[in-house]
Amino acid sequence: MMGIFHIIEYDFRNFFRYKWWLAGLISMNLADLFVMAIVYNKMVDPELARQIMGYFSFFAPGVTILGLFASAFMIGREVNMEVRREIHYYMLSLPLSRIELALGRLLAGGLRGMMYMSPLLLTTFAFLGIPSPFQLLIILAALFLLAMGISGLSIAIAVSTSSFEKFVTARGLVYYVLFFCSTIFYPLSLIQSLGEEGIMPQPLVTLAAINPLSNGADIIRSFLLGIPAFTLDMVMNLALFSALFATTAIFAYMKIIQRT
Amino acid sequence: MSGDADLVAIIRTVDLTKRFEDVAAVDNLNLSIEDGEIFGLLGPNGAGKTTTVLMLSTVIKPTNGTAFVGDFDVRKNPNDVRKLIGICFQEPKLLWVSTPWDVLNWHAKVCGLATEERKRRVKQVLNDVNMWEARRKSVHGLSGGMRKRVEIAKVLIQRPKIAFVDEPTAQIDVIGKHKIWNMIRQLRDEGSTIILATNELYEADVLSDRVGIMHKGGLLVCDTPRTLKDSIPGGDIVEIHLEKEATDKVLEELKSLKEISDIAEINPKSLRVYLNNVEEVVPQIMKAFLKRNLPILSIKMSEPSLDDVFVHYTGLTIEEAQQKMIKGEADG
Repeated sequence: MMGIFHIIEYDFRNFFRYKWWLAGLISMNLADLFVMAIVYNKMVDPELARQIMGYFSFFAPGVTILGLFASAFMIGREVNMEVRREIHYYMLSLPLSRIELALGRLLAGGLRGMMYMSPLLLTTFAFLGIPSPFQLLIILAALFLLAMGISGLSIAIAVSTSSFEKFVTARGLVYYVLFFCSTIFYPLSLIQSLGEEGIMPQPLVTLAAINPLSNGADIIRSFLLGIPAFTLDMVMNLALFSALFATTAIFAYMKIIQRT
Repeated sequence: MSGDADLVAIIRTVDLTKRFEDVAAVDNLNLSIEDGEIFGLLGPNGAGKTTTVLMLSTVIKPTNGTAFVGDFDVRKNPNDVRKLIGICFQEPKLLWVSTPWDVLNWHAKVCGLATEERKRRVKQVLNDVNMWEARRKSVHGLSGGMRKRVEIAKVLIQRPKIAFVDEPTAQIDVIGKHKIWNMIRQLRDEGSTIILATNELYEADVLSDRVGIMHKGGLLVCDTPRTLKDSIPGGDIVEIHLEKEATDKVLEELKSLKEISDIAEINPKSLRVYLNNVEEVVPQIMKAFLKRNLPILSIKMSEPSLDDVFVHYTGLTIEEAQQKMIKGEADG
């Protein structure tokens, strides 16, 4: 068990060595919220704005999820860099079991995402209201599941791609698909109506509905804005995503990394 | 190839093999390393030394065969093996965002050193390897030699039961080399077994209790440096310059000594004698000349090197073998 804590410490130390970069990223996320969302608030259809409680309120949970995703995904970049520089040989030679090593990386990635996201979540609470302790617990549990799933996804991609170029390409693809086919920027009702009109392809509409990023953002919205209605399916979907990618990441990290 | 049966083997490989696609980096390696010795794995780049070290330390899995480290099989009990070992890698494995202090402090923590002991050892070893002043610098800004010092410091702090040191003094200046060699000897004297992978002949010669010479993934020969050098027939050379011409009788007497394999006349007053066990035979040679009133003006002795041992077994010097390997890689 101690090995897991050592790995988490290692990954957190690496994370905070980028502190100015992280501060810059958080500032950019906040700028997204305070510049883009306020401008968009004036641009969107008034009827739609009324339905979503204003674009600023709608986008604040979305930006929280954006931050969580980007920061939890960073672990993959580090794992990929370690493999390319053969630093993973050092990690594999340490007196730790492979499962401790893999779990440590996975947890560290997820926890780093939670830490990065917290100022964004607090900003969201400051403008949209404070949830009850029970709601807060569900929000944090859901976001933790999401962070673990993202961390797992990034590790699985990192150890499966042989070069940095391939990793960056895969990361870009995942970013675009998961960001834009989700409810981070626009409500599911709008995506579905675009699907019905034939403007948005149906598979993308389905992806937006089951996308774990949509679930993460919508859980926060359901407690703070009342839309959409909270359902247990949202949490179950996140748990499934998390379990799937966490397991894949652990398996990939333990098996693939030793072959490289 | 293995050591004496009554000595305790702390590492034993059984047909250890690693193939990368069609290339056997290590091919049916059978070798035994004794507890408490410095064992030199000598060979040109590409001989399979590093791959052997990586398999013994459970970093990569063997394709065939296995190895026992301590009482543990690297295939079946890799977690137990890792508790016994420490590695100084050939290329320093340092994340570029870290500082030497952070790298070593974290390494010592993972290896289970308690806080006070950890701080004491990190400070002591950083001083020993002349890295104390640079302890807070980013490893990104360190020279190759400084990074290598941090890499060897990991093992010196950890003091593992079995230490693998892969080219520990590469990129390090002469004074630093001697200092590190002394620290490796001290580590051995404190109870560690050291496996030294190197392509530096002198380093293997002065540091190793026994040497295993590897070539093309296999073990050519394994013994003490002295025995290996003595195993070359006529490996020692003695050049004798006489005041008078050597007589046939004295040459016959010399040739009758079993250690002497050949005698070449450079000129009537100068001889080149090819022999073994030079230290024991030279007094007999001198006695033979003096007995026949043939005064010796000078004697020059030269011993074979481990490179000569490599040449004896492969027909190539280590440098030639290395160049051949590079050419082979370039040709695909």
